[in-house]
Amino acid sequence: MNLELTVNGKTQSMQCEDRTLLVDLLREQIGLTGTHVGCDTSQCGCCTVHLDGQAVKSCTVLAAQADGSSITTIEGLAHGDALHPVQQAFSACHGLQCGYCTPGMIMASTDLLRRHPDPTDEQIREGLAGNLCRCTGYVNIVAAVKQAASLMRAAGSQSA
Amino acid sequence: MNTATFTPSRVEDLRLVTGRGRYTADWNLPGQLHAHMVRSDRAHALVRGIDTSAAKASPGVVAILTADDVKAAGYTDIPTGAPVKTADGSMQVKCAMPVLATDRVRFVGQPIAMVIAESARAAQDAAEQIMVDYEDLVSVTSMDAARRPGAPELHGVAAGNLSAVAIAGDEAAVAAAFARATMTTTLSMDSQRLAVAPMELRACLVDYDASADRYTVYTPTQGMLGMRGSLSQISGVTGDKIQVIAEDVGGSFGLRGGSASEQALLMLAARRLGKPVKWVSSRSEHFTSEWHGRALRLIGHIALDAQHNILAIRWEHQADLGAYTCYFQAFIGTRNLSVTMGGVYRIPALFARQELIFTNTAPVSAYRGAGRPDIAYAIERLIDQAAAEHGIDPVELRRRNFIPNDAFPYTTANGTVYDSGDFDGTMSKALVMADYAGFAARRDEAARRGKLRGIGFGCYLEASGAGGAPKDVVRAKFAADGRIDVFGVTGSSGQGHETSFAQIVADGLGVSPAAIRYRASDPSQELVGNGTGGSRSLYGAGSACKMLAARILELARAAAARALDAAPESLQYVDGGFQTGSATSDPGKRIGLLELAGKLARSADGAHPLDCEGEAVSGATFPNGCHVAEVEIDPQTGVTEVIAYNAVDDLGTVISPQLVQGQVHGGVLQGAGQVFGEQIIYDDDTGQLLTGSFMDYPMPRVGWVPNIRNDYNPVPTTLNALGAKGVGESGCSGSLPALVNAMSAALRSRGVPPMNMPFTPARVWEALSERAG
Amino acid sequence: MYPFTYERASSLQHSVQGLRSDPEAKLLAGGMTLLPTMKMRLAAPSRLIDIARLADLRGITREGNTIVIGAAQRHCEVAADPTVRAAIPALAELAGHIGDPQVRARGTLGGSIANNDPAADYPAALLGLDATVITDRRSIAAADFFLGLFTTALEPDEIIRAVRFALPRRAAYAKFAQAASGYAMAGVMVAQLDAGIRVAVTGAGPGVFRWREAEAALAGKWSSDAIAGCALDAGALNTDLHGSAAYRAQLVRVMAAQALDRLN
Repeated sequence: MNLELTVNGKTQSMQCEDRTLLVDLLREQIGLTGTHVGCDTSQCGCCTVHLDGQAVKSCTVLAAQADGSSITTIEGLAHGDALHPVQQAFSACHGLQCGYCTPGMIMASTDLLRRHPDPTDEQIREGLAGNLCRCTGYVNIVAAVKQAASLMRAAGSQSA
Repeated sequence: MNTATFTPSRVEDLRLVTGRGRYTADWNLPGQLHAHMVRSDRAHALVRGIDTSAAKASPGVVAILTADDVKAAGYTDIPTGAPVKTADGSMQVKCAMPVLATDRVRFVGQPIAMVIAESARAAQDAAEQIMVDYEDLVSVTSMDAARRPGAPELHGVAAGNLSAVAIAGDEAAVAAAFARATMTTTLSMDSQRLAVAPMELRACLVDYDASADRYTVYTPTQGMLGMRGSLSQISGVTGDKIQVIAEDVGGSFGLRGGSASEQALLMLAARRLGKPVKWVSSRSEHFTSEWHGRALRLIGHIALDAQHNILAIRWEHQADLGAYTCYFQAFIGTRNLSVTMGGVYRIPALFARQELIFTNTAPVSAYRGAGRPDIAYAIERLIDQAAAEHGIDPVELRRRNFIPNDAFPYTTANGTVYDSGDFDGTMSKALVMADYAGFAARRDEAARRGKLRGIGFGCYLEASGAGGAPKDVVRAKFAADGRIDVFGVTGSSGQGHETSFAQIVADGLGVSPAAIRYRASDPSQELVGNGTGGSRSLYGAGSACKMLAARILELARAAAARALDAAPESLQYVDGGFQTGSATSDPGKRIGLLELAGKLARSADGAHPLDCEGEAVSGATFPNGCHVAEVEIDPQTGVTEVIAYNAVDDLGTVISPQLVQGQVHGGVLQGAGQVFGEQIIYDDDTGQLLTGSFMDYPMPRVGWVPNIRNDYNPVPTTLNALGAKGVGESGCSGSLPALVNAMSAALRSRGVPPMNMPFTPARVWEALSERAG
Repeated sequence: MYPFTYERASSLQHSVQGLRSDPEAKLLAGGMTLLPTMKMRLAAPSRLIDIARLADLRGITREGNTIVIGAAQRHCEVAADPTVRAAIPALAELAGHIGDPQVRARGTLGGSIANNDPAADYPAALLGLDATVITDRRSIAAADFFLGLFTTALEPDEIIRAVRFALPRRAAYAKFAQAASGYAMAGVMVAQLDAGIRVAVTGAGPGVFRWREAEAALAGKWSSDAIAGCALDAGALNTDLHGSAAYRAQLVRVMAAQALDRLN
């Protein structure tokens, strides 16, 4: 089928099979391999991207369902060389080790912060309930989300 | 949002947080074909025939490999690991797993065939058309079932499904100790079978260059040499013809040291078909077919005298090998369970009898700690049980029996030499940190809310890896861009080697870490050294890095002397440069190291005069610590909340505090996973795997252990140049006993007898309700 | 996945026609259940009709003393909707705890109830709130809608348009999630309706059911201790890897009590 979607700000027309998953379109056809596949039951969250502004699991979305939509992947989060505060905070707080879950974790975290700019521990736990990490033990990930929240609130108040 | 001043914590971070990591599945080569595996759906069956005719005719299919192809290519079996010596002096019965099943399958998920096609989908479609003619046999999926008289035997050569009975220690001394003991305690503990479950799914892409007779193998590893060695062993292709590439690896935890069937088959296929071939696993295949972890039973008997001195511990261990001997479970079930079987205690007599048993399950190999967290767990649990049974305070029982600080180096009753430690100091520090003394009040407050609290701790000690290679060597090559490339064998799967090793070299040279690039397993460099494993990379390769820095300075001194027209011995090395003056404020004549390097002329082949190697021989070290966990159980639902987790570790000299803390955190959560939910379960009747996905296998998530406080009681080791002890497996070694002792204390207070892990809500509730009557 | 044809529905009637003309066709809304099943190759529809954007199936409106929620309304939308939060907070709460945030961004009310997974949350809300399922051709009371394991009263070509919820006097939902999957091992919706008291249970049995004994007890006294002695037939509940029927019975009691305590 023919699709048109906007990926990281760039609108493109593509062709794919009806059964092509969004994650496979992103990885194989567009070459954005930052989004990862980690399971086959839609539970690990490694494939999380933003679809029309919301975090979704791209392994459980058909590319066809995303026709006409706007998608942001991990590659589209930074502005040129300027990293997103969530990306910075994950590094600063050592919230990543092997990095495989990290793109999905970052995309889920940015969505969580959009909904809860000053999240409680409980809101962070619920916000990341769809993402697995085997390396970090999560404590530093939670710290990273809180630091990112601070950075974003400070930046928000600076520009206000 | 000003990010101009952002400096990443680790060198690796920038590419990983922006999605520019390169994991195996991210690689593609022009013209590549795709493979899909056909796996057994029976636990135990004869294979009468495999009908590939429909599959061969399926659209897009290029080839189908079966055991006949493996044999024709001269490939051998999956490596079995070094054989274990048995109690009567003979060698273990080894039953190697064939790359593809021949006349029999012995576990659900065992590889039977590989289909190669133009697309992954076409390969999968074709694979579904392969008809295997099975003749079902009775299966045994537990060690108990496998050892019952009359049980079906998996391998004719292993009578009663026993691969080996090994012993360690002194049986007679232990028997004598038990004969004069005032009190004894016995406890049987299972360390249940687990899935390793790194987040990156296994994948492999192989390209064969016929003109150079060279294979390029992209696959996740723990260091190139181990993977290459196993591929060489299976395929018969010499190592110089195999190049292994693993730029980024999404976790490993012991799983990825060597090749399984798929990587070897792709070598065969790429050569035969003249095109690159790619295979990516699914998560369900990870559950059925990749090596599982742990699967041990540890039965401990402890003997005490009237003053509560430990006279002896006698162990009976059973290790489930799975259906075949693959890689490490034999070593785990014998050496790794005995090397530290006395833990941190001064025990005059130790003995272990160890059985290695075949079952119709996936083969078992190394998973984070590979037996050492398991024995640490068993010792600490046994001690707590003895304390409870005989009315002894668990802190006092330990304190009385710790190896004292003035006893080092200490040789254990079974010959292990511990170099250093401050066990009492570590425990005391941890108990204060956890406010152990104040627990009773917290327990009572919780009780008023209807909740059941428990506190428990584990004084663990583990032997980090001695390593198989004779030494670790790292090589420096001064690059044209003014930076120094440091090549080593050990490969990161999240540990941050690029950062740590760069830091060690930079510290030794007094330059910025940004000037150093660590490159693991670079195909252009032949090196001796160990891969990642047994928590030894930091002190092993790291010590070599320290030696490397010293060697560079040795070579540079002569060149600096010529550049400054001074005597070499008169120069001082200050702030990353050679100078005639003695202080920063009064340098005299000075040349920076990197500046000097830039001025030196290269030889005709491009080698730089300062290019050199550093090496170190670093044996096992003994990381240890005391972790304290406080839990709160809701008796109505059986749910446990981890209220507090405090960890005090002796990791010797800590080079990268943030990375070390991260390793402990990760290990603690993996331990928590095992304690509270993870378990691979097979159906006893059908042999089918019941926990085949994340729907049924509960992985730890955010909030399982909400807070972990870390502190250290470092006693530097003299066993390597850095004074560092390994940390990779400490988190598991501390968390298993701490969490289980806490759960056991809470449940014991309600009359619940000792329970095995996992302490799922359902099991905890059932145990409590049984007691409540 | 096996191959299929994807089409975006142009209208409700067109979708009904699509189902009618091809018995192997299936509707696609959020896909949170259907797509994983297809990825495992356990389902192989010939055609997917994407109804997620159909205006007929969207919208949340207050109509007198009821709220009507479109079948294609996503869980995150129901959870955040001010009308729902004001009128039936228990329903918003339930929707806000289905799956995880990524699932809630896609999964829909219609998709959930049409599937009738025994561990899904919405069936407890419909049964507990005496809701009415409005399809393209009729209205079906919740009590008549859920027929058994993965089975509903829907005809093969029938499409859910919306669900009408009567406003309860008060209601609460409490759920105990299975640690691995996040599905309910026991989810209880307790409600005081004009028509009487409802205690609807999901996750514990082969399908959603009403715990009649508890309803009777609560009619006498609206408090968690009233249900302590209520009989609950563990024999009718599920036993699996994650817990016995007896444990599920316990969870039903505890969740019902938690829901009641929240209201008192």
